[in-house]
Amino acid sequence: MTNILEVNAIHTFIGQFHILEGVSLTVPQGSITALLGRNGAGKTTTLRSIMGLNPPREGTILYAGEPIQGKTAYQIATRGIGYVPEYRAIFRALTVEENLRIAERSKGDLAKRGDLIFELFPDLKRFYRLPGGQLSGGQQQMLAIARALVPENQLLLVDEPSEGLAPIIIEAIVAALRQLAAHATVLLVEQNFRMASQLADRYYIVDDGQTVSSGQMADLVKDRPLIAKYLGAGYAGAGLVPAQSTTA
Amino acid sequence: MASFLRKNRPLLVTLLIVAAVLLWMTNRYEPKVTASILLSGLTLGALYFLVASGLSLIFGLMDVLNFAHGTLFMIGAYIGFTAYANPRLILNTLPFALALLGGAQAGRWLGGLLPARFKQRWQDSSFLVLTFLLALALLFIGVRGFNLEKLVAATATATGGVVATDLAQEAAGRFLPRIILLAVSGLFLGLGLSRVGTAEVRQRPRWTSAGVGLILVAAAFALIPIRTPGEVFLLSVSSNVRFVLALVIGLLAGAGLGALIESSLIRPLYGRVYYQLLLTLGLSYVGGELVKSVWGTVGFYMDIPAFFGGSGDNCPSPNLWSWFSDHCQSINVLGRPFPSYRLFIIALGLAMFIAIALLLQRTRLGIIIRAGVQDSEMVQALGINVRRVFTLVFAIGCGLAAVGGVAAAPFLGVNLGLGLEVQLQGFIAVVIGGMGNYVGSAVGALLVGLARAFGDQLVLSGIHLPWMDGVVRMSPSIARASTVLIMALVLLLRPAGLFGKKD
Ligand SMILES: Nc1ncnc2c1ncn2[C@@H]1O[C@H](COP(=O)(O)OP(=O)(O)OP(=O)(O)O)[C@@H](O)[C@H]1O
Ligand SMILES: [Mg+2]
Repeated sequence: MTNILEVNAIHTFIGQFHILEGVSLTVPQGSITALLGRNGAGKTTTLRSIMGLNPPREGTILYAGEPIQGKTAYQIATRGIGYVPEYRAIFRALTVEENLRIAERSKGDLAKRGDLIFELFPDLKRFYRLPGGQLSGGQQQMLAIARALVPENQLLLVDEPSEGLAPIIIEAIVAALRQLAAHATVLLVEQNFRMASQLADRYYIVDDGQTVSSGQMADLVKDRPLIAKYLGAGYAGAGLVPAQSTTA
Repeated sequence: MASFLRKNRPLLVTLLIVAAVLLWMTNRYEPKVTASILLSGLTLGALYFLVASGLSLIFGLMDVLNFAHGTLFMIGAYIGFTAYANPRLILNTLPFALALLGGAQAGRWLGGLLPARFKQRWQDSSFLVLTFLLALALLFIGVRGFNLEKLVAATATATGGVVATDLAQEAAGRFLPRIILLAVSGLFLGLGLSRVGTAEVRQRPRWTSAGVGLILVAAAFALIPIRTPGEVFLLSVSSNVRFVLALVIGLLAGAGLGALIESSLIRPLYGRVYYQLLLTLGLSYVGGELVKSVWGTVGFYMDIPAFFGGSGDNCPSPNLWSWFSDHCQSINVLGRPFPSYRLFIIALGLAMFIAIALLLQRTRLGIIIRAGVQDSEMVQALGINVRRVFTLVFAIGCGLAAVGGVAAAPFLGVNLGLGLEVQLQGFIAVVIGGMGNYVGSAVGALLVGLARAFGDQLVLSGIHLPWMDGVVRMSPSIARASTVLIMALVLLLRPAGLFGKKD
């Protein structure tokens, strides 16, 4: 299996702060890889570094075998990486249609992907002309994912899709992400460990800006001490179900 | 219905207040006076809108408060006036600009071609200083002894007193070397600029940019022999054609200046509010001084083009319909003549409003701009080159202001004070309407324009207070201050402006 993404010891700064101190990870093509870690561990920053939004100062990032570190975000995106950011950054003033249309990289992208998108998220078809800001939180999350599906992206960076959503909506998103994995490789940041363990084949754990553990998800699920150490006692105690709600 | 009322509350409240004032006015003044106050207000409002819309677009998308916007309005007026009344000055200075710009384009392309080893050896900063010094030196040699005053004085051509062409204009033999020097100067400038910015901003040079550069330089050379015949031709065509030309040239010059300012000066300062503020404020002074050094401190009066300047027995036109055949200088509005040119200004403002609204609502660029207003980083992450959109929007905004300047020239005159007033009123309009809201900027501009016209009328006629004998006279400056008062009031009631979102 080839690796679509290889991140090698990147160091990223935000202003004066040294946030990532050597994060490394590889994402095999066609997999769902989970990126785990406690609040403030550096998960979002890792995704932003890959995306070119917080370019790393050191280290290399290879996408499909080619270095992309130091490129601008739009150049990185056009190579085939879709970004679904934290807090569902959809465009509130734009209609659902415009939110999808803006993601087109060439004319006709939306027409080509429309069927897939509406099959995954029928709600979006229903509210096609509604401003994104008037959608519910779950629908906004669906729109954010759908937006990344409009062009033919090979890799999706998905940041905490379950944040602040009711369990029933999370089920829908899990189902969508699972279907989606047939079309693209996914690097998934998720605090909801149950969700992550259901979806991902492999995992990485970052802590304090460093990769501290990686391997098969099936192994992590059994390794309670490891979970307790890096993800919190709540995750380990009751099997896979976190003690507290998924909402931050 | 209820939701419609709720959604459009700011607009409705505004309309209500305007209607109340109108009612009061019709009660107090004759209808024809009311009508002409309203039309005067709309005229000013249209001009303020051309400034406010650009300010608002630029602030909305880039969070930049462009304090140089009024100066661009003024520069637009000067350039438009010059294209209209003194084509000689344009024809003799345009080659300089073309050569410099074309050279810079080619230089940037060359800079991208430098071998990697050379790039490592040269520290960015010392390379920059060296190329800039060289460029400056060449520039100075290039323009030394160029007689600008005589060219500017040739403005007399518009009113009859013609300065002989060969008196003011340099012979090709002396002119050509200047253009060559300027092109080379531009080349070094471009070389230096190609090394500016962090790696993430720097872009791979494209063949097209070299091509564009060559075309610009070629155009500069091609203009040299065309200067005299060009002037003769331009002075022979009707004032209407020259006026349209002036509008187009003003638009292009404003947009070009805007693109230049954004891509070279503002781009490194995104996210650094105070630096931007100082920069745009400084630019407005630099612009003013530049205008002063070219055109002098004495203002100009720009003739109204023939299309709006008709006179004769049947003038003023009895109505708009017959105006279309006689083109009188004035049209009777309820029995009182109103200058037809001002109606043109209103129409221009309306046309620009619709054009930009269509751009924002119907085009992909418009979607990108509206999305970028909320989150330009996310737009970038979708694979869109936001930097280029920034430059484009800055250019559009500055172009609008410059067009406003050209349109204002026959109405307000061409002088150094032109920019400050419209800038102030433009900012007030934007704040009233809600920062970054396009429709808000239009409504704000209209309110400010109407308030100005109304205030002027009050100053003229005085205020009649029921409990006092006679009328209270105000000083004209109060009329000017009245718009600030409206702004303060709006901000008290709705801190985000009439159409602003609260977040
Ligand atoms: N703008 C900033 N300035 C300074 N520090 C920042 C900034 N943004 C993030 N950080 C810090 O960087 C670290 C990593 O943040 P990041 O958002 O990547 O964490 P995360 O793992 O995504 O957390 P969460 O699970 O809460 O989303 C945190 O300690 C955070 O405080
Ligand atoms: Mg995060």
